[in-house]
Amino acid sequence: MGKLFDIQLVFEYFPKLLSRLHITLSIVFAATVLGVILGTVLALFRLAKTPILNQVAVVYISFMRGTPIIVQMFIVYYGLPLLLLMIHLDINHWDKLIFIIITYGLNMAAFMAEIIRASIIGVSIGQTEAAYSVGMSRLQAFRRIVAPQALLIALPSLGMNMMGLLQNTSIAFSLGIIDVIGKARVIGASTYHTLEGYVGAAVIFLALCILMEYGFTHIEKKLKYKMIGLI
Amino acid sequence: MIELKGVYKAFGRHPVLKGIGLKVAKGEVVVVIGPSGSGKTTLLRCINFLEKADEGELTIGQNHYHFKHASKKDILSVRRQTAMVFQSYNLFNNKTALDNVTESLIITRGVAKNEAEAIGRRLLDKVGLTDKYDAYPCRLSGGQQQRVGIARALALNPEVILFDEPTSALDPELVGEVLAVIKKVAREGITMIVVTHELAFAADVANHVVFMDGGIIVEEGTPQQLFFHPKAERTQQFLKRILPEWNYDI
Repeated sequence: MGKLFDIQLVFEYFPKLLSRLHITLSIVFAATVLGVILGTVLALFRLAKTPILNQVAVVYISFMRGTPIIVQMFIVYYGLPLLLLMIHLDINHWDKLIFIIITYGLNMAAFMAEIIRASIIGVSIGQTEAAYSVGMSRLQAFRRIVAPQALLIALPSLGMNMMGLLQNTSIAFSLGIIDVIGKARVIGASTYHTLEGYVGAAVIFLALCILMEYGFTHIEKKLKYKMIGLI
Repeated sequence: MIELKGVYKAFGRHPVLKGIGLKVAKGEVVVVIGPSGSGKTTLLRCINFLEKADEGELTIGQNHYHFKHASKKDILSVRRQTAMVFQSYNLFNNKTALDNVTESLIITRGVAKNEAEAIGRRLLDKVGLTDKYDAYPCRLSGGQQQRVGIARALALNPEVILFDEPTSALDPELVGEVLAVIKKVAREGITMIVVTHELAFAADVANHVVFMDGGIIVEEGTPQQLFFHPKAERTQQFLKRILPEWNYDI
């Protein structure tokens, strides 16, 4: 087995880990997109106090925020096909990655819903009233006046959640997904050099996080420049 | 012509407007005065449905509306015949001064962009903001913001402009510039209903002054009548309290 930690091996394993980066990234991005879309819908149900759908959203958000993601993962992976089989839709042959993306997307949606709801409430009511007073419909007022301002308020929290999601993907291997962490585990199992793989993975995750931080700060600055003094 | 009949509005069990009737002829400037909490602002907000009155009728030109039974379409139609200038300006924070003025023209009236921008520039020139076309609201002083607000209201060429205490949030130094713009607009014959505490201004531009207290119109008349020969005791009290010096001057 040799040394417990061989720095040489970190460099040797690093490209192997990088070769799985696209899996990690596709989980993060696909789940974020799904989460933002579904989260917006949930937030609007909550804000409009749509009968029944509002209550459904409340229960959904509580459940998704209140249970561990690994539980949700297994529910989606084993439960969803059973549910869909009832309406004669066989999804058992789907790639595992799709189930992972659905899980993380559904989970992200619950967090995003509350962020988006708070951001929309955070835009002063006077903005909506002014939009109404010049004859805009509800949809026009939302789309043209409220939503762009809410986006700026939501952005820092969105960034934080996306980074949280990135870290959360580290348990996707539980379903047998070989992403960056999955690869580190595989390397560890086959070479008995567990630590080197994980150190490499840590470097990759850290770099991604720094990149995301930088990216979000940049977008925020750009948007804010247009609306200085808004926050 | 704008006419209000029997406007009643309560917040919960607390009645704010107890049967208001008001007639505003075309081109007339009506100023509503009264102590805080007398329902002035609520009355104004009921006219363009930012508050929904419980009872009453509204006539704008040939169109009649019942507050209680107004449909979404009615509300939109009323809002497209009226415009409002807010106490806290409420400019669209995500739009430049020019976009604030043109936005509604383009979105709700279907005016072509270049045409709308020509109108917008003309109106910003009129309110003295020629050099601020591309400034975002946060870069403008309160007085400048409010003047953009007035330009935004003018752009819609409404039947009536509702001014909700347009100078109350301003530095005393900036009140003058906004009042001057309102006066200029008033002289052009645009129908206005102005809620304000600036009595000297009211005496200067109003054709008709309304004194409200406790959700009713206590007294109304020409500025001359109301300010110098108030009949109701409540009006006399109110004027005495906020215009003590006038008693000596005249």
